Parts: sequence; structure tokens; C-alpha cells
Amino acid sequence: MTSSPSETETRETEAQEPDAQVHPLQGFADQVAEAVGGTQEIQFDTVKVRVAPESWVDAHLVARDELDLVFFSWLSAIDWTNEVEAGDPLTDEVEERIELLSALSNVTDGRLVILSTDLSSEAPRIASLVEVYAGANWHERESHEMFGIDFDGHPNLIHLYLPESFLGNPLRKSYPLLSREVKPWPGKVDVEAMPEQNGSDQPSTENPES
Amino acid sequence: MTIDADTIRHLSEVSVSVELETEDMTLNIGPQHPSTHGVLRLVARVDGERCFDVRPVIGYMHRGYEKLSEVRTYPQITTIVNRIDWVSGYANEVPFIVAAEKLMDVEVPERARYIRLILTEMARIASHLVFNASYPLELGAATPLFFALRERERVLDLLEGVTGGRFHPNFNRIGGVKPAYAAGSNTRKLPQDLPAGFLQETRDAMDKVSIAVDQLEDLVAGNEIIRARTKGVGILPPEVAVAYGVSGPNLRASGVPFDLRKTEDYLPYDRFDFEVVTAENGDCWDRWYVRLLEVRESIKIIQQAIDTIPSGDLQAKVPKIIKVPKGETYVRAENPKGEMGYYLVSDGGTGPYRLKIRSASFSNISILPWVLEGILVPDIIAVMGSLDFVLGDVDR
Repeated sequence: MTSSPSETETRETEAQEPDAQVHPLQGFADQVAEAVGGTQEIQFDTVKVRVAPESWVDAHLVARDELDLVFFSWLSAIDWTNEVEAGDPLTDEVEERIELLSALSNVTDGRLVILSTDLSSEAPRIASLVEVYAGANWHERESHEMFGIDFDGHPNLIHLYLPESFLGNPLRKSYPLLSREVKPWPGKVDVEAMPEQNGSDQPSTENPES
Repeated sequence: MTIDADTIRHLSEVSVSVELETEDMTLNIGPQHPSTHGVLRLVARVDGERCFDVRPVIGYMHRGYEKLSEVRTYPQITTIVNRIDWVSGYANEVPFIVAAEKLMDVEVPERARYIRLILTEMARIASHLVFNASYPLELGAATPLFFALRERERVLDLLEGVTGGRFHPNFNRIGGVKPAYAAGSNTRKLPQDLPAGFLQETRDAMDKVSIAVDQLEDLVAGNEIIRARTKGVGILPPEVAVAYGVSGPNLRASGVPFDLRKTEDYLPYDRFDFEVVTAENGDCWDRWYVRLLEVRESIKIIQQAIDTIPSGDLQAKVPKIIKVPKGETYVRAENPKGEMGYYLVSDGGTGPYRLKIRSASFSNISILPWVLEGILVPDIIAVMGSLDFVLGDVDR
């Protein structure tokens, strides 16, 4: 998904109209979108509702209290950017942003919704969900460490995995995979010449990252 | 001089209510500690025998799988996700493969789906048997370990026979499954099906595991010491558990009948008759007991699946170089430890643009500061063990 929210939505609708079938989750998606004041889309049986960053906490309060989505599954982010240091670049140009996602579910019929909001790539900052879902604590620490998102009101916003002295946000696309920088590894190439064929005495299956 | 009963009671109350001057001390547990199932460090403030303000320190097993996935192709990623929760490696592969298949719109042959289901349940039995071996051991009972690990070995031998790996099967391919003995063949003439006799051997093994589960129950459930150490200890109320995202047997032990095998359609569980095991109190005892009973339900599922497995191909037609069309999806599955899910963002290339790995143990142990607050020091081990986490599943 590489276009702006509104375009994606139209494309999705167009893609689903030919078979003239309403998705079984459409009613649920509409209900959530209306309650939290966002726009919904269904991609591959996954309901995503986009909300404005200002109403991020309120949307979660509504989801928890009115929609019975009491199960906090996870929170994470996607770094949408056109310049990548690790992995393949996107085929189409995107609007550079950090998309923050949180997955909420009920514990009766397992309906799940992904709430999403867009933050600026330079200084992502948003209110913390810890008061709404206690489980957001560690997930927000993870996103703070991995994407550099600041969560206002978080009680303990320190690194979760890496030492406090670690610089950079590893899951940002601008962060290179250092082992690849040190020694290129074919990685994506499945078929390689055997060592005797290319004249090298190095085993071709060697993985410097292991 | 005689002292009547009232006076004695009064005196004893006075003597225990005297305020003692105590000094807080910091207790460090781990990272290398046998009860932490990997490398988890806990920093607790201890006031006498009670601990407060417990802070888990994780990250010792952080291997950066989400970043690594961005530079790998889809077939390579199954090797990575195998190693997330190594106690049930096979179960980790399935939701990832299903997510990729969903984006590619691949129809997986029924026989392959049944094989996935059987192996997932075998992984669940193996994982729960490890728990049934290690948990009594942590509480001081060594014997159940031998019963449980003997049966787990039986299950792992079968898993190894069909996949080639005990811990890291790497058996799923996009579009189906690939039996091990055909995998490296250049001739392409070997039959691509399960090893001969696998289903019958599995059926026999399930009978033996079933007997062992009865023995384990007799051995552990009647044990006074285990009852005293686990009943009423580490109670997890359902409303707290769901807010922390605690899932799987830990959530069901708190009385929430939530099982993704009943609500999601990643594997054909709706065709089989099995029960969602729940308990009422949410204490350590319930978490142990729910896992023991779930082994029986898994045996039931495997037996029914063996009875009804259809014949046919194991692999759908897919391109030689896997390219996944643009799209996003979240697929979650009931792992032995709880909800395991993958949020897959594809840009149409040979590898994902972003892969968020939602692992069960991460959320399950994020509740440790809450559940260990004010608990007795010896109960720390009882509570930690009952949550059944694996640090590879926490740190990813």
C-alpha cells in the first residue's frame, strides 16, 4: 500500500466491486469507523481504521468501552519512506510518514481491528495509551526504541531491548543493516555458482550474520 | 498463676504486630537462571520476604528478526520464524505462510492443510509436555520430567521423521508443505507424500501420550506440595490479563474461553470436535492444569484429523520465484504459548516491506511487574514458571 489513504480506499472499493459481494466484516468495519470517527478499509480480511493523531487515545477509549475490544494485541509502526538503506525500495513514491498501528480484539468472536494513524517522520510524537491499555507499556517502549516515536505520558520510556547508549532507531528504513555493510551477502539470490565453478575457495553458503 | 486462652491470644497478637525496622534490598534474578527459560533478568525490590517493583529486563535474545525479514525472501523467512519460539518451532511457521498465501491468493491443497494442522497440534503437545516437565521441576519435583520428556521425544521423533528437524522443521512452503526426504532430491522421482506409515505411527504414539498424560495427572495433581505452592498463587484476573494482551492457556486459565482455533480460519479446525479448556481462578495451579488438559484436546484433534485426512497433492502450483502482490494483512494463530501473529506489508517484491511479529510470550511476560507485586520471594519462581514463556519468543 503505497498511496495516500483516500486513494487506497477507492482502489480497494473498486477491486471488490466486480464480484458484487459485501465482505462479511464490512458491517463491523463500518461500526468501528463510525464509533471512533475514522475511515475504514478492508484488505485481505484485515479491518483497518484510520484516525487522526489527536483522537488516538479517545479512539482507543471508545474501542475498549463501547465496542468491547478489550484485548490489546500489539502496537507497532511502519516507516513509509522512499529512501531505504536496508531491503528493497518501494516501487511507487509514497508520502513520507510513520504509520502507527495498534491491534485490538474482542475475546468472544475474535473480531480484530487495526487502528492506524500517521505521524511525521522527523519528530513522531503522540499521546501514550498506557492509561487505556496497560499492555501498551512495553509495546510503546519497543516502538520508541525501534522507530524513535515519543509517547507523551508514558511512565517509563526507556529502551526495551538494546542498551540505553545505543544510538539510532534500527527499524527505520534509513538505518542500514550493518552486517550487510561489512560484507555483502547474496541474500536474495537463491541460485549461486558452486565454489569450484567461480574459482573461489570460500564456501558460497557462508552467512556472515550467523 | 494461670493464663487463660484470651490472654494467650492477646499476647500472640501483640507479638506479631510489633513493627520491625526493615530495610529494602534489591534482588537480582538472572539473566542466567534455570527458571527463566532463556535469559531473562528480574530486578526486584525486596522487603523481607515480599517483593515490590519488579522490573523485567529483556533483550538478551534480541536477534532483530523484524529487520532481518526486510532483507530476506519469503522462503528464507520461514527459517527465521522457526527460531522465535523454539519449543514449538513448527507452529510459528504456519501463520506467516498463511499470511503470504493470503496476499498471493494461493489455494492450498486440503491434504497439506491437514498435515499442517496435525503437525501444529504435535508441536503444541511437545510444548505443553516441556511445560509439564519443567514446571514441577522448578517447584522441586523431578520425577514428572522423565514422564513428560519421554513422551515429548516420541512426538519429536515423528516430527523429525516427516520434516527432518526436531526443533526447526522449516517444513512449510508457500502453497503447501514439503516432506523432507524429497526436499534435496535432484531426480524429482521420489514420491512427494508423507513417509509411509506416518499416520499409523502417529495414531499409536497418541495412545501412548494419552496414557502418559493420565500418569502425569496422577503424579502431580495429587501432590500436596505442588498444590500448596500453586493454589491461590499469582492470581491473574481476566480484565487485567486482556488489557496486557495475555493470551493462550494463561488467559483461558483466568476463565476467558478465547481460543483462536475457534475463531480464525488459518487451519481447518472448524471440522473437528474439541473443547476450549478453561479454569476459574487464574492461579498457577489453573495455568498448569489447563495445559495438561489441552494436551488431551490436541490428541483428540490429531486422531480425528488422521481419520479424515483427504488424499491429494501437498503443494499448489506457485511460481519458482515467489513474489507477493502489494497489500497488507494480519494473520494470527493459536500458538502453544498464545496468540502468534504476523502483520505482513508487501510491496510486490520478493521480500516483505515490513513484517511485524506479534509473539505470545512478549505480552504474556509484560504482566510480570503486575502479577509479582507484593508476592513472596519463593513464589516468584512458581509464578514465572506457570506463565510458560520462552525468551526467544519474547525478544524475537
